[in-house]
Amino acid sequence: MKLTFDNATLEILLTGKSYRVTLGDKTAEADILHADAERGQIEFLLGGERLTAYVSSDHTKRWVTVNGQTFVLTRQSGSRKRGGGHLHTAGELTAPMPGQIRAVNVSEGETVTKGQTLIILEAMKMEIRIQAPMDGTVSKLLVKQGQTVEREQKLIEIVDKVER
Amino acid sequence: MAPFSKILIANRGEIAVRIIRACKELGIKTVAVYSDADKNSMHVQYADEAVHIGAASPKESYLNADALIRAALASQADAIHPGYGFLSENASFAAAVESANLTFIGPSADSIRAMGDKAESKIRMKEAGVPTVPGAEGLQSLSEFESAAREIGYPILVKASAGGGGKGMRIVWEADDLPEEIDAARREALHAFGDDRLLIEKYIPDAHHIEFQVFGDKHGHIVHLFERECSVQRRHQKIIEETPSPLLTPELRVQMGEAALRAAKAVNYFNAGTVEFIFDPNLSSLRHGSGQAFFFLEMNTRLQVEHPITELTTGLDLVQWQIRVAAGERFPYQQEELTQHGHAIECRIYAEDPANGFLPSTGKLLRYIEPRGPGIRVDSGFRAGDEVTHFYDPMLAKLIVHAENRQTAIRKMQTALRDFVVHGVVTNLDFMQAVLAHPDFANGRVSTRWVENAFDWEPPSAPSFESLVAAALADIEIANRKSEIVNEVDPYSPWKTLNGFRN
Repeated sequence: MKLTFDNATLEILLTGKSYRVTLGDKTAEADILHADAERGQIEFLLGGERLTAYVSSDHTKRWVTVNGQTFVLTRQSGSRKRGGGHLHTAGELTAPMPGQIRAVNVSEGETVTKGQTLIILEAMKMEIRIQAPMDGTVSKLLVKQGQTVEREQKLIEIVDKVER
Repeated sequence: MAPFSKILIANRGEIAVRIIRACKELGIKTVAVYSDADKNSMHVQYADEAVHIGAASPKESYLNADALIRAALASQADAIHPGYGFLSENASFAAAVESANLTFIGPSADSIRAMGDKAESKIRMKEAGVPTVPGAEGLQSLSEFESAAREIGYPILVKASAGGGGKGMRIVWEADDLPEEIDAARREALHAFGDDRLLIEKYIPDAHHIEFQVFGDKHGHIVHLFERECSVQRRHQKIIEETPSPLLTPELRVQMGEAALRAAKAVNYFNAGTVEFIFDPNLSSLRHGSGQAFFFLEMNTRLQVEHPITELTTGLDLVQWQIRVAAGERFPYQQEELTQHGHAIECRIYAEDPANGFLPSTGKLLRYIEPRGPGIRVDSGFRAGDEVTHFYDPMLAKLIVHAENRQTAIRKMQTALRDFVVHGVVTNLDFMQAVLAHPDFANGRVSTRWVENAFDWEPPSAPSFESLVAAALADIEIANRKSEIVNEVDPYSPWKTLNGFRN
C-alpha cells in the first residue's frame, strides 16, 4: 500500500502483525500498541522505539504531534494529480486570514504600481496590507470597507497593463 | 464575610476565567460578559451569570463602557474587575464605574490618568527621584539637537513625540549621521502622526526589560513583590517571562524595588500595578563601575498577563488580594516578610506562525491537550472544539512552571511544552522550545531585540519520519475497518472507525 503526505510517499507492507514502512532509502518496522480514539492518541513501536503520537484530521489535512513536534501534513489522494494548493491567476489577491476590510484605497479601472497598498485588512489587532504584485489595472474589486472576509476569499483582481 | 457579593468581569478568555476562579474561592458570585463571537466561550460557562453586551468587534462589546456598566447594574453586581487589556487602563471607565456606585477593582482613575500620559509620567518620575532614560525634549534647531545628543552620548534614539509603534524611531550611532536622521525622522513623524516634533533619548543596545510588581491597599500601605524578567519579546510583545531575573544582584533588586515604590507612591497608587524598567546589563556589571543601570519605562496600572510567576514565587493570590483591597481590606504583609521562593517561568502560547512573521492563525481547535504534573500551571480560556477567531488576541494559554531553581524550571518547562498538544491552529510551541534550548537563554543574555536580531530559527523543512508513520498508521486503521462502517458521520475522521479500542 502507498500513502502520500505532502511530497513523501510511504510504502507500507503488512508483515504478520506489524507493518514494514519504507520511505526512500529508509525502512523500519512499525507496530501499533494502542489507539485511543477519544484522545486521538496512537502508541506504536517504530524500529524498536516506543512513540506516542496525536493525530487529528480535517479533510485531507493531518495534524500530527510526536516527540513534542507538530506537523501539518496533507494527504494526497493516490491516483489523481494534484497541484500544490489553490490556483490563482497572477493578479488575483486573496485574504491571507479572516478579518475585516479596514480600507480600500483603489477603485475599478484604476492604474496601480507594484507594491502599492490596495486594501488594508484588519485581523487580530494587526493591519495587513494587500499590495499590488505587479504594475497593472484593477479589473475587479470584490470587497467594500467594513466587510468581513474569510481566509482565501478573493479581494481584488489586477490585470497586466499590456493585456488591456 | 465575602468582600463583595457579586462581581462583573469586564473581560474574556483566560483572564476572565482566572478572575472568576478567584471570586469562587472568595465566595463571590460572578457575572461574565460576552460578545456575539463568545457566546459558547469557557468564561461564559464558568460564571454564575452571563450578559450579552454586543457584536464581536471589541469596540461594540468589551470596549463598550456603557454596555458594561449597564450589565453590572442590571445584574446587581457591586464591583467590576477589568482584567488586562480592553478598558483596564482607561481612566474614564474607572471613573464611570465609581460614578455608578460600583467599585472599580484597580487603582484610582487619577493614578491611571497620571501614568497614562507618557510625558507627564516621565516628569513626575524625575520629581520622585526615579531614574528615567537620559534624553531631551522640545528641541528645535539642528544645533540644539547636536548639543543635546553630545551631552547624552551616542548612540541615541530619535523618536516622534506623538509617536508609538516604532514609527519615526531611528538609532543614530554617531554625530555625523545626526542631521540626515533628524530630517528622515521628521518626515516619517509628520507623515504618520501629522506632527513632526521629535525627542531624543539615550539608546541602550542590549536592553533588558525588568519590571517590578507593586501592591498597595487603600490605607497607604504599599509593597513590591519583586521583579519579573520579560526580555524575550517579539513585535515588542513579551512571550516568555521569569522570576527571579538572572541578572539582578540582591543590591540591585533592593534599589529597583525602592525605585518602583517611589514611582507608585508618586501617583498615590493602590491595588496591583507594575513598574517597568529598561535595564542595561553593560552598566550593571562590576567592570563598568557605578553607572545607572536601570531606567523607568512606564507603569502598567492593572494586573499583568504574567502575574502568575509572581504568585508562584511569593505564594500570594494576586487576584484575590486585588478584590480584597478594593473592598477596603488592609494588605497584611510588610516588605520584610515577603520573600521569593524558587524560580518560575511563563510561556505565552499563541495561535501564530513564527515561521511566517508571527502572523496569527485562526481556526477550530481540533485537539487541545494541556500538560499536567507537579509545578505546572496552565491558565487558559480555550477547550478542544473552540474556535480561535480573528477578533481577539491570539493567546491560547499561559503555561507556567515553578521549580527550585532556574535550571530545573527550564527543564520542567521543556517537558511541559513537549506534552502540550494543539491541533487546528499553528502555535509557537516549537518556537518556544527552540528559545529555551538556546545558550543565550541559558546564560540570561536575551535582550528585548534578541528574537529579531540574533535568534535564527526556522521550522523543520520536512516532516519527521515519525510523524509520517503516525499519520499513515492512523489512516490505515480507517482502511482496515472501512467495511464495518454502515453510516459514517464524518467521512474524514480516521478515528470514527476506531470506536472502542485496539489493544
